[in-house]
Amino acid sequence: MFKYVKKLEYPVNIRKKDLKMAKLLLSQYGGPNGEWAAAMRYLNQRFTMPDERGKALLTDIGTEEMNHVEMIAAMVDQLMQGAMPDELEKAGLSTQYVEYDHALFPMDANGVPYTSAYIEATGDYFADLESDMAAEQRARVTYENLINITEDPDLLGPLSFLRQREVVHYRRFKELKDYYHEKYSKKNQKMDS
Amino acid sequence: MYNKQIELFEPYQGFIRGNMFPELFDQYGKIYDVKPMNEQAELLTYIDIFDFALIDLNLYLDVFPENAKMIELYNNLLQEKKMMMKKYEESYGPLTTNSEALNTVPWSWDNNPWPWEV
Repeated sequence: MFKYVKKLEYPVNIRKKDLKMAKLLLSQYGGPNGEWAAAMRYLNQRFTMPDERGKALLTDIGTEEMNHVEMIAAMVDQLMQGAMPDELEKAGLSTQYVEYDHALFPMDANGVPYTSAYIEATGDYFADLESDMAAEQRARVTYENLINITEDPDLLGPLSFLRQREVVHYRRFKELKDYYHEKYSKKNQKMDS
Repeated sequence: MYNKQIELFEPYQGFIRGNMFPELFDQYGKIYDVKPMNEQAELLTYIDIFDFALIDLNLYLDVFPENAKMIELYNNLLQEKKMMMKKYEESYGPLTTNSEALNTVPWSWDNNPWPWEV
């Protein structure tokens, strides 16, 4: 069960309109390595984790990713505050404007709509955890690219925070995977022979 | 090796870094202070700080559930967070629908600001 807390995980207060960054940030909203995909991926995969540690970790990281979806949405929304149609067109957001006006819509920076194909789930916890580790690394790189192309401290604070969370999630997934490797190695040997 | 006492950042330092664990911290660019714009935002930031420490310790404890020291610290931080939340809600209204600050008319849950608003 999920219950709402009326605050963000980390504050987002962007004072300067920046439509170019709004467009680019969409990649972390509804893109293949975005927060939405991450949240749905982990909250789905938790059902096939083999023990308590896995069920807990996937639930908790999946839940934290929901906080990040909300932060990214807040950032995009604030960056687009008061944007006029001609400004949106100049920023390459005219197609977004025609389809969705100022509504938030999960898609990547190129306007490709979010698809549930981004939720990688195999039912095999080793395959899933390896895929989760890779996903955290890809999201980290995307945040670094975003950090590299803005100088607005209102954006850099939350982007740096979100990037660091990918680092932490990667490590926890890896620790869980290593633990499973040890815990279930006997079973694996039996299956091999 | 993970059951020994683990070094942690102070809650605020961990919060602005997005990571409570110095050994795991991977710096990229600058570290940005959080500068609340008014008294309400400042109180909310205190909650954010303790909430973040709890989130990060929780993930650690999911994988290392035997670390008694960390569990003790988690519970201490939880008390701090609850105190901060109570203080905030008394002045600025409910943060959850379990709040004791929901006994006024009209229904205060609706009240602005919502979290995505500056």
